Amino acid sequence: MTAQAKINWDGKVYPYIPSDPLKIDPSIKLHTSVADELDPISFEVIRYAMWNINVEQGNTLLKVSGSPIAAYGHDFNPCLLDESGDFVFFGPFLQYLSSASGSAVKWTLENRSENPGIRDGDIFLTNDPWIGAIHQADVCIFAPLFWKGELFCWFANTLHQWDLGGTTPGAFNPISKDVFWEAGCIPPIRIVEQGELRKDLEEEYIRRSRMPDLVALDLRAQITACNVARERMQQLIDKYGPKVVKGVMKKLQDNSETAFLKRLDTIPDGTWAEETWVELAREGDRHVYRNVLRLTKKGNKLIFDNEGTAPQIGSINCASVAWKGAIASMISAQMLFDQMFVIEGAYRHMEFEPTPGTLTCAKFPAGVVSAPPTVLLQTIGLAGMVISHMLYCSTDEVLQKEVQSCMGTLCFPIDAIAGIDQRGDPYASFLLDPVGGALGALSWRDGVNTGGWPWDLQSTMPNVEDNELFYPLLYLWRKEIPDSGGSGKFRGGNAAEIAYVLNDCDSMTHYTTGGHTIIPGPGLFGGSPTSRTRFSMVRDAAVRKATATTGNMPTALEEIDGEHLNVSPKTGGVVQQSDDVFSLAWTAASGYGDPLERDPQHVASDIENLYVSRDSGERQYGVCLDDNGAVDAKKTTALRAEIIHDRLAGSRDQALQTMPESPRDIQVSEGLVISASDDDQAWCCAKCRTRIEAVDNNYKSGCLKRVTEVQEVGLAPIDPGQFIDDLIEYREYFCPGCGLLLQGSFCRPDDVDFQNISLASTQVANSG
Amino acid sequence: MKYYCGLDTGGTFTDCAVIDHDGQITIAKRPSTPDDYSAGLFDALETCAVKIGISLDELMQSTEHLFLGTTVGTNALLQMKGAKTGLITTRGHKDSLAIMRSAGRSVGLPIEKLLHVSRHQKPDPLVARNLIHEVSERVDWKGAVFLDLNEAEAEAAVRSLLDQEIDAIAVSFLWSIVNPDHEQKLRSMIHRIAPEVFVSCSHELIAKRGEYERTVGTVINCFIGPVMKSYIEKIETRAASHGYDQPILVLQITGGVVPSSEVIQAPLYTIGSGPAAGVTGSSFLASEMKSPNVIITDMGGTSFEAGIIYGGEPLTASETIVNQYVFSMPRLDVQSIGSGGGSTLWVDEISGTLKVGPESAGADPGPACYGKGKVPTITDANLILGYLNPDNFLGGSMRLDKEKSIEAIKPLAQQMEMSIQELAAGAVRIAESRMAELMRQMTLQRGLDPRDFVIFSYGGAGPTHACEYARELGIEKIVVPLGSISAAWSAFGTLCADILHVYEKSDLLSQPFDIKHINEVFSGLETKGRQQLEDDGVAADRIEIQRFVEVKYRMQIHQLPVPVPPGKLDEQDLEGVFAKFEDIYEGFYGKGSAYRQAGVEIGLFKINAIGKLVKPAIPEQSPATEDPRTESREVFWPLLGEQVDTPIYTGLQLGPGHIVTGPAVVEYPETTIVVQPKATGTVDPGGNFIIELEATAQ
Repeated sequence: MTAQAKINWDGKVYPYIPSDPLKIDPSIKLHTSVADELDPISFEVIRYAMWNINVEQGNTLLKVSGSPIAAYGHDFNPCLLDESGDFVFFGPFLQYLSSASGSAVKWTLENRSENPGIRDGDIFLTNDPWIGAIHQADVCIFAPLFWKGELFCWFANTLHQWDLGGTTPGAFNPISKDVFWEAGCIPPIRIVEQGELRKDLEEEYIRRSRMPDLVALDLRAQITACNVARERMQQLIDKYGPKVVKGVMKKLQDNSETAFLKRLDTIPDGTWAEETWVELAREGDRHVYRNVLRLTKKGNKLIFDNEGTAPQIGSINCASVAWKGAIASMISAQMLFDQMFVIEGAYRHMEFEPTPGTLTCAKFPAGVVSAPPTVLLQTIGLAGMVISHMLYCSTDEVLQKEVQSCMGTLCFPIDAIAGIDQRGDPYASFLLDPVGGALGALSWRDGVNTGGWPWDLQSTMPNVEDNELFYPLLYLWRKEIPDSGGSGKFRGGNAAEIAYVLNDCDSMTHYTTGGHTIIPGPGLFGGSPTSRTRFSMVRDAAVRKATATTGNMPTALEEIDGEHLNVSPKTGGVVQQSDDVFSLAWTAASGYGDPLERDPQHVASDIENLYVSRDSGERQYGVCLDDNGAVDAKKTTALRAEIIHDRLAGSRDQALQTMPESPRDIQVSEGLVISASDDDQAWCCAKCRTRIEAVDNNYKSGCLKRVTEVQEVGLAPIDPGQFIDDLIEYREYFCPGCGLLLQGSFCRPDDVDFQNISLASTQVANSG
Repeated sequence: MKYYCGLDTGGTFTDCAVIDHDGQITIAKRPSTPDDYSAGLFDALETCAVKIGISLDELMQSTEHLFLGTTVGTNALLQMKGAKTGLITTRGHKDSLAIMRSAGRSVGLPIEKLLHVSRHQKPDPLVARNLIHEVSERVDWKGAVFLDLNEAEAEAAVRSLLDQEIDAIAVSFLWSIVNPDHEQKLRSMIHRIAPEVFVSCSHELIAKRGEYERTVGTVINCFIGPVMKSYIEKIETRAASHGYDQPILVLQITGGVVPSSEVIQAPLYTIGSGPAAGVTGSSFLASEMKSPNVIITDMGGTSFEAGIIYGGEPLTASETIVNQYVFSMPRLDVQSIGSGGGSTLWVDEISGTLKVGPESAGADPGPACYGKGKVPTITDANLILGYLNPDNFLGGSMRLDKEKSIEAIKPLAQQMEMSIQELAAGAVRIAESRMAELMRQMTLQRGLDPRDFVIFSYGGAGPTHACEYARELGIEKIVVPLGSISAAWSAFGTLCADILHVYEKSDLLSQPFDIKHINEVFSGLETKGRQQLEDDGVAADRIEIQRFVEVKYRMQIHQLPVPVPPGKLDEQDLEGVFAKFEDIYEGFYGKGSAYRQAGVEIGLFKINAIGKLVKPAIPEQSPATEDPRTESREVFWPLLGEQVDTPIYTGLQLGPGHIVTGPAVVEYPETTIVVQPKATGTVDPGGNFIIELEATAQ
């Protein structure tokens, strides 16, 4: 990273990193004075009022905005920032947007304070991913509040816009080669000047869109939301005085920092990493790309890097603003849940060291518009995984309970649809059903079926009737998919699928963007991987005619005659004709821990509830039921023994050592302990105490390994060759002593075993 | 003498309010009798009869209308003690109820729980998966049949549910709101096969688009249907045996009443109706007092609830959330936060701040001063400050132990380095500021200024805190409605209700509008409304129809209700409706937020069909002749920063002409009114206790 010294992190070619301290024109005076003393009761009262001001900003946005994606997908978030753009509150909606608004405000302070200037009543707008947006569709509106000539604080809100131009309709672009194919980037402009919306700039802004009225309406929603919050904050300052209010802001940040540090204290120093694969950079591409996230905890710092991540390509890249937001969203969810998600305290101790020119730290003019449904969501999934790996090592039981497997809808299968609707009007939108997601399994209970995402607290699927009213289609089914959640000691939440035919129209064009159609997302500690995304079309199915004849509505693709095709996760226009069926399924959450460790009673109840099939109960969990659905203990024991026997079939000849339990042991995952004797420090099995590998090496080199081709993993075999040319395999790592499944991993045949964990030698030495 | 009797069955108490033709009010509060709620109801009625000096039979025989508010359905739902319910739905969509639009994992959670994702979980299913059956049939968005009802499959589904010994069947098909034919056919089939089974069809209960919320509503209706049927039939039988020969009028979540025969078919509308009676009573009183703008506040042991009357009309909402299940239906908008007397006090170690709630000590173990638990609560703080009289809690039926309160709060005070009184005062201030926040949100989010409102305060704990939450909002007048009657305010509230039927029709209309179609929709709804009111026995001259459309800009999702003038509409009327929409819109969201270029759309038609009931006027009280007697005790007043020997009034002895100068405490049998410093209390001729606040520097 030495080359970075020469890099200009100014938001032009390389993403913006604020100067420290910020270089602000001296004409701007920042309000920094805080009350000497803040009584704790007033703090609590003002804190609550301030939180509500920000929530009100969000609710206003939600009500005024036209976008279904705001109403259902909650693809927006309001925030309150202090005078220099540090966070006070970030709303309870979509979390990954957090990095963007802070960055936009700081950039504006550094680059707009002299010309055109920042004044009371001004409002700025940007959608530049190298400055303050996740991708171009996420437009950030932000407004300063002045108190007696001093810049007191900022309000910002980001809202996803359906279309801001570019070479394909919508907010994603499966054919883009670079940013010039996409919606244009707007560095911060002063769109409202002292209370007046500038007509010229508004027209310049909405002119680029295929849906200018919607964009104009949303612009008003965002401005209105800022104004509402600004007015309320003004009242709060009037009532309590600026020093007290500012004191509360600073104390909130300090409190979250204290809480965060207290939590870091319970965690040993170490490095945890996870990887996953993005499929197809754009339409016509046939390759896969690696996305790596590594977290190093060193004292009171968390350092994130992406070393090993593929070079930037196509339109799936994140500028680093998005990458940071992805990481921060899971830090909030897993470590700041009791601090009202005040992320600033954590930001003070997070360092980001991405390698530029990669998928997760793209240089201008890389294409970035398709990042959110692909690399960005994946990175959130990876962040949850590396944080979970780390929290497992914490001595704090509260944090251990936050350990969770990979979330569902790991890539969002964008099914963007366009055509003429049943009322004769043109439409262009995408179906929001996949916000249904699935929550990962926790270290103490199963995931939640169709339970959304962990970083968006309340996303809501549209009703089938909503979509059928808005678009010319008719759903055949929307159903949860049994067995889709990764199996494990605790099961990942199941996902769902939809299928629809056209109604009141002759054709519909689909633009897809997504991933994980071939390579599932990772499981945790031996839990099975996520299920796959699937876009499919059945040509000439003639469902209307068929159902009229049989009187039966089909509820699965297998029940439908016709030519079955899988649709690529990057298509720039596939046309569904009147007799065709289109279907999509999103990924379920992965599993936690070896499935053979699952309580057989839980498997039986999953089967009774139709979450898991009987067949899967046997194959995945080794659990046999009798005719009444009760666990057959004898058969289960025998079957589990048989599965273990198979796992151990490739066992090495050399004698295995065991290591005695010791108070100095550090348990680092469901199946792994670092154990130290006087002359040895090694990874050993938590279940049978078999010594696996010296602690300085990757524990995987001491494991029994089983390699499966990627197509054999998961619900139904698929043909990777339909979309990708690269070979990918699935490796499972077992304890050589007892056959406990420790971890699974997808990689290319030539890849060395991926290192998920290494504890700092000092940490191990201390334990030893 | 003619009487009107209002009853309110709650989980713990059953209240009764009787008003005679001259406006004299008698109330009674008796324990609820969960084994057979009707016993408690008639116990309360009889208590009132005795107070009036007549027999129960005499009372019942001279009763014009018997009104009933009930939480029996809500309680059955919350405790999941309902009928074994089966669901038949459109093939391919049986998982709708389990998917819960995904939001079911967190919807309705208080913010502290919302932020803790690893604890998100969907609630227990209302219908077990093996009791949900799918049937081939399909209607599209415009009502066209895509696939006829497969009657063989339908019959198999019904028989299979009967084999599974269900008590009730919910039928919910996609788009039944535009074409109910398949649901109706299936209901006939069920009636034919199993006439005894309780059946609900979704299109009859909820007219709004959205199959999830409609299915939830239908299933809940079935779940509580048999329970409510037997509850109401028992009351009817008893009432008849005492000589009451009119239909019982049951309060709904809309704030109106309907005859009990309709409630037996659609008990869903009673879910969440608990607070509605209070709003209805407040509406009535607000109009008597000529106060068009009122914020209604009700504080009990576990929660604080607020509602709004604006321009004389209670504000409404369209969604109800119970136990993370959502169903859509028009209702009075009453919002709630977990700030009640039982809200627990604790210290957040990291921030070193005092927190109140959201957990509640409930009734058991209850606040530390109840003597059963050790958790400090708001009630304990009130006792320590001297607001509450330990010997006069719940009408003296319970003694509070102040020592226990002190013991519970002491560790917190030490941790915060405050005196016990300071801590108690701080906790109360935090709780009161939260109440004020809720009211602030409810008004400001609608573009209303709270300073234009009067506060009504009732419920066991409300009047104790009203001065401060009013002051926090800049409101200068508080009304404790009808003084002592406020203790049975919900029972009184039912007496104030009119018959109300709400009819809605979802229909998305864009420009250019088909006026003929719009007139047809309204006329259809109105005919239905008038017919129903006639069936209810309402005379034509007592019928009132209110009409609304819900309007939005094209491509928006969120709709706003806009009143529509009566009669046949023309282009100009419609233009007036849209102009009104833009007014309301800009009122909500600020000048400049409207954007007509986007085009407007109508998403919903709605009428309120009202049958006006006669209500006796409340007579004026004559001025008090004697000075009230007072006692005194030490009370800590944060505003004065000290403990002061404070006059304590007995509320029942106060009358018009008396002036209570704060600081003072007024004790009624069931409630305590705290008159803060810089506040003055009086009793108006209507018997209401009025507090006027001096404007303060704040």
